[in-house]
Amino acid sequence: MQKVDYNKYIDTKEGWVDRRIFWDEDIYEQELKQIFAKSWQFVAHTSMIPNVNDFYTTYMGEDGVIVARQQDKSIKVYLNSCPHRGNKFCYADDGNTRSFTCNYHGWAFGIDGSIGALANAHVYDEGDIDKVKCGPRQARVDSYKGMIFATFDDEAPSLEEWLGDFRWYLDMMLDNDGETEFINGGIKSYVNANWKFGVENFIGDAYHALWNHDSGLKAMNNGEGFGPAVQEGSYHASVNGHGWEFGTDGYADVAILGRPKWLEYVQNVIKPKMEKRHGKLRSEIFGSLASVSLFPNCSFLPGIQTFRVWLPRGPKKLELRIWTLVNKNMPDDVKQEINIGCMQTFNPAGVLKMDDGENWEGNTQVNKGYLTRQEKLHYGCGINREIEHEELPGIIYEGQFNDANQRHFYQRWADLMNADKWGDVPTRYTPKYAGKPTV
Amino acid sequence: MTQSKNNRTASLELINEVQQFLYREARVNDNEQFREWLTMLTNDVHYWMPYRYQRYRKNEKEPTIYDQSYYCDTMSDLEKRVIRTETGTCWSEDPATRVAHVITNIEVELTDNLDEYKVYSLTTVHRNMNEDEEHTMIGHRTDLIRRVGGVLKLAKRKIILDQNIFMNKSLNVYL
Repeated sequence: MQKVDYNKYIDTKEGWVDRRIFWDEDIYEQELKQIFAKSWQFVAHTSMIPNVNDFYTTYMGEDGVIVARQQDKSIKVYLNSCPHRGNKFCYADDGNTRSFTCNYHGWAFGIDGSIGALANAHVYDEGDIDKVKCGPRQARVDSYKGMIFATFDDEAPSLEEWLGDFRWYLDMMLDNDGETEFINGGIKSYVNANWKFGVENFIGDAYHALWNHDSGLKAMNNGEGFGPAVQEGSYHASVNGHGWEFGTDGYADVAILGRPKWLEYVQNVIKPKMEKRHGKLRSEIFGSLASVSLFPNCSFLPGIQTFRVWLPRGPKKLELRIWTLVNKNMPDDVKQEINIGCMQTFNPAGVLKMDDGENWEGNTQVNKGYLTRQEKLHYGCGINREIEHEELPGIIYEGQFNDANQRHFYQRWADLMNADKWGDVPTRYTPKYAGKPTV
Repeated sequence: MTQSKNNRTASLELINEVQQFLYREARVNDNEQFREWLTMLTNDVHYWMPYRYQRYRKNEKEPTIYDQSYYCDTMSDLEKRVIRTETGTCWSEDPATRVAHVITNIEVELTDNLDEYKVYSLTTVHRNMNEDEEHTMIGHRTDLIRRVGGVLKLAKRKIILDQNIFMNKSLNVYL
């Protein structure tokens, strides 16, 4: 079979993307192999599995995995599929257990994923099974400031290299005043949309907020809309396909939650500490109108504190998992204010989220039309606005109303789709912070 | 006959009155008369639809109001939601969603407070949107209904949805 050059589906110089990447089954299969079987992916927050034998089940691509806290407090991630006939051996979302047992024939698995006792083991003769060799496949696991990541690719670069200078930005969310945690419970929902539409919305689409979220913002903000788009002092930053779009107004995203206690807390507690530890610029960025995605499929809103993954369910459907991120040391009433605010804005009944789902389904489902999906999508906004910035790391564009982060996300997508080995992946940005901490 | 802890039984008249209240609430919601719906709630209403955990029986736990939820609203929170639908820029609700609430399995229990009744019901919400998108949700409701100035009002509602992954892109109706 002739090798496909996935660069033909995108053009970052002219600014367009081919719609077939949101629809074609064969492109989707390649994504599972080239993106989801290779990338470091967010699988859980450490606070979801604080105790020995705690576990959480999720997916990397469409591969079901168990994320489990070990006896020595380390974390393992392994396929949730019995090596005997393949059935899932854990059907719970999360919990605490010393072992799992497959329902089909009764094979047991330790919390480390190793095969334990077999039901009616006497039917096996000695030598029939090597339990060590036969165990479910284990992923590489690493974490960054509470976020647990995993990859099934032994050749993938280290997590630090994968995140690269994006750590400079992540520290604003994950390390603005000590450790973070998730509020209990992650809400899951289906959207009949391609997974990339969720990711690209958060990676750099401030533009849609002004129009699409006018009603939601007015509801949350005493009848006030967004006001005019401000391009001065606002940016897109892209690193290795991750993207953060942001202003420097300091409070717009915090205000969207409509919770005065949270606003005061950001002003009086978080910002002064950030100014000392992270510097003035980062203390101004945190809380401003902003949105973020980590390549390939994890997103959050700093200041609004909603956190999510977009799990692919075929090219035309995604499973959205939503959490609320807070600092561990926040008073309980501030945590609850943030939790209620996130619920009311970005959970499935959220006054902003309700409008998003409609759009992404529309973006995806129109492509059932053969002629429609031959038409390219325009990603040209701000295409000549790249700048050098003395402080901001990454590929920087001025003006947060811009398609820059989306263009660079799709470039990263094409780079990985094309790469037979990691050495083939082009370096698009040289890090300033390689091997160095970012706070 | 439905009985309370102390064996007093709700009268047929009361059961009928509560049923009529719930049917009217359903109709008002179906017709998007959200301002009128708010008048059917007490000022201290708590409208709660928690996230439902799917865990092994040995690990089962009850959701709390400090966990994530679909709704965990006070009157002022619900008012914000209603404001959204009044802005004229609520694009995803234009054209309008078609909704039918079917309310069944109503049980009325008396409580220690003569003006408050504990009411169980099932709500089956059928939603049809855009060209052909259909979604059915079934919620187990536990309500506290209070008589205020002679009129029944909803003071508390807990809704347990019979879904783990919420099966649709948005929850744009009240259950």
